[in-house]
Amino acid sequence: MMRRWLFPLVAGCLIALGAYQATLLATPYALMYTALQKIGQRATVNQFAFASMSTADNQPIVRPSPDLSYSSCVFDLSKGPVLVDVAPVPGRYWSVSIFDARTDVAAVRSDQDTNGKPARLALVKKGQKVAAGYEPVILADDRGLVLIRILLANPQEFPTVDAIRRKSTCKQI
Amino acid sequence: MKAWLRYSLCIALGLIGGVAFAVHQVRGGLNDGRISNGPWDTGKSFGSVDASTLTRAKVALSGLLALPAKEAMYFTATRDSAGRALDGRCTYDVRGGKLDGRWWSITLYEGEGWLVKNAANRWSVPASAVATDAQGRWGFMVSPTPQTGTWLPTGSAKAFDLTLRLYHPSPDMISVPEKAALPVIERKGCA
Repeated sequence: MMRRWLFPLVAGCLIALGAYQATLLATPYALMYTALQKIGQRATVNQFAFASMSTADNQPIVRPSPDLSYSSCVFDLSKGPVLVDVAPVPGRYWSVSIFDARTDVAAVRSDQDTNGKPARLALVKKGQKVAAGYEPVILADDRGLVLIRILLANPQEFPTVDAIRRKSTCKQI
Repeated sequence: MKAWLRYSLCIALGLIGGVAFAVHQVRGGLNDGRISNGPWDTGKSFGSVDASTLTRAKVALSGLLALPAKEAMYFTATRDSAGRALDGRCTYDVRGGKLDGRWWSITLYEGEGWLVKNAANRWSVPASAVATDAQGRWGFMVSPTPQTGTWLPTGSAKAFDLTLRLYHPSPDMISVPEKAALPVIERKGCA
């Protein structure tokens, strides 16, 4: 009796292990894909969307910070590199981060890293040419997200910060 | 029972069991298997290629687009300093001293990480919103009802968590967060 079930049980355990690992591996890709679809509705691909401040009624992603202004660009490198130019906002924390399709941070640059100067990043796949004057960020997948975070000391600062951040660009070359 | 039926049954159960266990672990929140300091939990590999497949999946679900520790650290509390689950009907005194980083804020979330509707339209307390004394000590209240001083409303949330964001943390904070001086969360009473 036991011998008849031994090999089916071993097969079931191996399948369970494989299904467990596959689910863990697929989860970040699936959630990032969903986020890119949702965020991508706010602007065309390879263009910044400048979101209003996060509130209980405006939460495009999970666990948003209500103290930060978010600007996002869903990028697609399938037709060529994407250049990201971030306008600095003086006297406060800001950063630009590049997330790949697996949710990993491929690069992050803040006001401290640039000494208050603009951040200029070229998002490329292996073999694509990097434009002069841009720091290369090499990605394995075509799609991902650029996210600019800017700290506001209070909500009244938003119009001033908003005007500056809209000078930032994300564009395919 | 025929052999093909035995194999089909075990394979189907294995498939369902493997997926179900993975979903259960991922939905277990950000606090499992991580570094603890009082009521706060954090990790060192958020957003990085060094993260394990489980950590990456958990962060994708409960903290998508988190930054690596060099840029920001995220400490989450689901319990008060006495170990009791944070309850939206209770009032808490959150107090601390200088935090070893460039800027901090504490945000209140419910569920998997959503801001809670409340009449005051306040969802976080940043460093700039609290008064500090000569020793750098500060404090604020978390409560469903208005409080004197700085107040973070729980709204209608039954259960909630607090996330402390620390941007540009010091090297010591990054390397030994379990020894950092982090805020205390003291329950004062419940409605």
